[in-house]
Amino acid sequence: MYRFLSRTVCVTRNHSLCVYEGHVFSAKYDNVSRVLTGVGVNPLSTCSVRCCEKKDNAIPSNQDEATNVDTQAKITQLQEETEQVKATDRDSMQQHSNVKVEQFLSKSSQVNTDGAKSGKESLLDLLGAMKVQVTSKKRLKNLKPKQSLESASAAMESTSSMFQKATVQASAQSEALDPDLVAAASAAASTLPNRSEAESELLKQLRQRKLLTEAQKKGDVNNLGVLLADMKVGKRSGRQNAWPTNQIRFDDDGQGYVRDRGITSELANVQKRRNIFPAKRLNIFSQTTDEQGDESALAKPTLWDIEFANELSLLTNQKPRNGFEEMIQWTKEGKLWQYPINNEIGLEDEASVPFHEHVFLEKHLEDGFPRQGPVRHFMELVVTGLAKNPYLTVEQKKEHISWFRDYFHQKEEVLNEADVYLN
Amino acid sequence: MAAPCRHVGHHIQKNGRFLRININQLFACRSFGLTSALQQQATDLHKESKEAIVIPRKKSWNKEAVLEALASTVQRDPTAYPYQFQDDSYLSPRTSIEFKLFSLSQESGRAAAKYFVNSNPKLFTKDFAEPHIPCLMPESVALRLEEVSQEALEERISLRKVSAAVEMYDQLLQSGTAVSMETTHKLLDLICLYCDRDPVQEGTPQTEDREEEEEEDRRRKPMGRQAMDFLKCTWKENNNAERIFNLLPERDARCYSALIRGMVKHGAYAKAFNLYEDLLNNRLSADVHIFNALISAVPDVRKKNNERWDLIAELLNQMNEQKVRPNLLTFNSVLKALRQCSFLAKTFSPQILNEMKALGIAPSLATYEHILTVFFYKSASSGPSNMAILQDVLMELEGTSFTCQDPNDVLFFATAMKLCLDNKDLELGYKVHSLVEVGENWRLLGDSYQQALYYGRFFNLLCLMEHIDVVLKWYSRIVPSLLYPNPQGMKNLLQALDTDSRLDLLPTIWKDIKSLGHDNKVDLVEELLSLMARDEHSAEVQESFAACALDVKSVFGERPKKEWSTSSLSHISILLLRANKLQKAWDMLQLFKDKNRVPSGALLSSFLTACRCSASPQRAVELVQLSAAFSLPTTPELAKRTLAEFELNDKQRSIVSEFEAAPEKEE
Repeated sequence: MYRFLSRTVCVTRNHSLCVYEGHVFSAKYDNVSRVLTGVGVNPLSTCSVRCCEKKDNAIPSNQDEATNVDTQAKITQLQEETEQVKATDRDSMQQHSNVKVEQFLSKSSQVNTDGAKSGKESLLDLLGAMKVQVTSKKRLKNLKPKQSLESASAAMESTSSMFQKATVQASAQSEALDPDLVAAASAAASTLPNRSEAESELLKQLRQRKLLTEAQKKGDVNNLGVLLADMKVGKRSGRQNAWPTNQIRFDDDGQGYVRDRGITSELANVQKRRNIFPAKRLNIFSQTTDEQGDESALAKPTLWDIEFANELSLLTNQKPRNGFEEMIQWTKEGKLWQYPINNEIGLEDEASVPFHEHVFLEKHLEDGFPRQGPVRHFMELVVTGLAKNPYLTVEQKKEHISWFRDYFHQKEEVLNEADVYLN
Repeated sequence: MAAPCRHVGHHIQKNGRFLRININQLFACRSFGLTSALQQQATDLHKESKEAIVIPRKKSWNKEAVLEALASTVQRDPTAYPYQFQDDSYLSPRTSIEFKLFSLSQESGRAAAKYFVNSNPKLFTKDFAEPHIPCLMPESVALRLEEVSQEALEERISLRKVSAAVEMYDQLLQSGTAVSMETTHKLLDLICLYCDRDPVQEGTPQTEDREEEEEEDRRRKPMGRQAMDFLKCTWKENNNAERIFNLLPERDARCYSALIRGMVKHGAYAKAFNLYEDLLNNRLSADVHIFNALISAVPDVRKKNNERWDLIAELLNQMNEQKVRPNLLTFNSVLKALRQCSFLAKTFSPQILNEMKALGIAPSLATYEHILTVFFYKSASSGPSNMAILQDVLMELEGTSFTCQDPNDVLFFATAMKLCLDNKDLELGYKVHSLVEVGENWRLLGDSYQQALYYGRFFNLLCLMEHIDVVLKWYSRIVPSLLYPNPQGMKNLLQALDTDSRLDLLPTIWKDIKSLGHDNKVDLVEELLSLMARDEHSAEVQESFAACALDVKSVFGERPKKEWSTSSLSHISILLLRANKLQKAWDMLQLFKDKNRVPSGALLSSFLTACRCSASPQRAVELVQLSAAFSLPTTPELAKRTLAEFELNDKQRSIVSEFEAAPEKEE
């Protein structure tokens, strides 16, 4: 009855495998429970079922508990448990090999993948292929328990989808292959004279092979405890991703290896570093204040600076490409009237002088000149003339007036004699 | 029985988790949306309360702004000659040599005028311009102050009269007059810059051959003519600079700076380092220029790569110790020195770039040029990952407009395009070119030689990688307004035409070849002819090919020195035959004889076929005679064919049958 139970569990597991991602551990679980049923160690079997359950989902399986009440007492550390299981496994394997016969036919599907392709070929080839498959199976087994641990702590969604896909594929393949193997065996047997005898012999041979593979599997399970002890949860995902890409790179075209080595990869790294995050620098200079910079900015340009600037300007001194550019060049040289047109260009000194300074010049006649008389009259005429002259600056006008002032002072005596210089 | 139920439970649990996460996310989005809307409202309120009109400040435009705006509206006209030659129809260059000659003659004309004005200032005293235009007036190049004084010394320094200044300084010392430190600095700068020699004044007449040679140099090298002068003279032991320096009662860093820079500039590298030691012994701290000069001299004082780097690192550390801020030129000279440290360069140049960025110094094009050269040095290792570097550099520079900050800036574009060409990366080539077209970056293409390099490489890249239609589009855009392709470039174009089977364009290309002055390049013309003669085309194309072939023939005819090769003669003949120009082809056959070449049998047999098509038995007989004159082995074959295929009169028949029989007799 227990056996039946566990087999149903197996079957449902196998089906659920396709449906529920993350149930990758089921094959292993399968294996263990199946072997245990064979031996008939019920409490152990259910206990391990429960432990696996716990590892997987942390959902207490009520039904299991209901059927096995006495297992409660036996719950110990997972690791110990599995080791125990293995110990019993070993013994049971030898004893109950006949039980396995029928198991083989259903289970061999999981062992073989390549069988279908070589169905028409000789059986020996088939068996050889089987052995190869066993090794790959072993690897799969190695990964499965790790996966189950991982999923216990992390969310289901976060597990590597690539790996799961591979598992699903493998199981799907195995289910399809089972009848092929038997068919191949019977086909091979049909060529022989004594058909039924031959077939059973062939099947026996297969069974022996199966025993061998099972033994190898058990060796694996032996390592399980060590593996579990060494496991660190969530460590694998990065490596899993890295590995296939590496393989692709090496498979590429022989250049892959070269590309990975030496300067090029170094450069790629350098480049990444430079662009992605603030990379290594010389670390010679510290970011100090800008005192020095200010100082040099204030200093007068030396001959060297002038020469350097000249060199740079010569280098970038392209020929003008159109008339406007030529005009720009002329403007820079000062040959061209500047745009926008301003008719006071070149008169920047006068810009600050208001117009009345130019026009009302009588105030400059206040002192130094007579109040009336011909000299005064003459000077008024001079001032009127100056007021209308746009070409002289105010300074020049003042100079002009003061020249007359000096002149009339020098001639004061003469003028007084003639009685024209009044005041 | 238990298991399925458990799995259902597990499924629900799993999905429940998923659902919860989704709900959480949804909620998070929702609340975020709410808060942002609230914030917006709050800011709106804030704005309304403090509403104030900000009057924009009056922007003062510089004097070129209007013209620059106008100039930006003018597109380059690829069909026009360069603007500088538009004044004079005579100055319309068609080849690169003419371009060089005309632009140089323009320059030299200006220089001559300037020299005349400056040397005869008394003839140019009228100043019509109001306001005054200083650059149109003669510059005072003659010395005015004759007495021995510091002012006279200053005047000599400002006029850059090295020997006169040195003389004046000596006189001042003898008379016991103290010269101020500032003037001494200037004097030392002057002597060191010109290496104790009078500089060649702008526009001074020189002996003719020297001028030419110099102009040549100027075109070749990115450096100006004056830089070439510097390179010619070397630092002499105990020259005036050193003498004055040693006589100085006290020396400050500026004096050392002048001497060290001068020594490095004029090739006395070891001496410069000794002087630097001296400076350190006197407990002075060096300035940034000293370090820049010393770093650039490092490759010449150390032989081994790691020693060079060690010295550079030591100098940089000393800079830091002496609290000297490095500038762009410091790092550029470090990178330039690193270029000669082969394998170390690849390690350190990215670090230097990062150091620059950390110090807030924006790299110039020269920086990137050095880095690219470092990584692509000996392009054996150039692979896709190396191109990634160029790609990243271009990505970083994309859309930026540069100004020239380092004399090596102008090398960047040509180098980058070279890398694109070497790696045949068209996409990056386009990227480089789009960078050139940003803002004023075209000014950084360098002198005409650099520009020719750049565009030549770009064009070659296009010919190699691009579809012919695009190539021709670019061809019409840059040739000849920006580029006068060299023969190799034209060959590449021919190959591109061949690849995309657009050989019908060959006659137009031949016209361009002729106008570019490459019609005397025998290998180019032969390539053209062989491409035309290789396949048969439609009648129209054959007609144009024949015209082109005749043109080639006439061009070759004009040059008696040029040797006809057998292949080009037969190519032309075949082209003429295909266009049914029997008489012209016959003339070509006569040429074989004149040039002592032997036509191939295949050519003669195809000629015979052409004769039959035009039904001229007389020509056929003559052909057989000609063949016999060359004593070709195919003569009896030809004779047989002539007898069989033509209707000959008796006389002709007798002649031909004689040739038919002749070799048989010999046998």
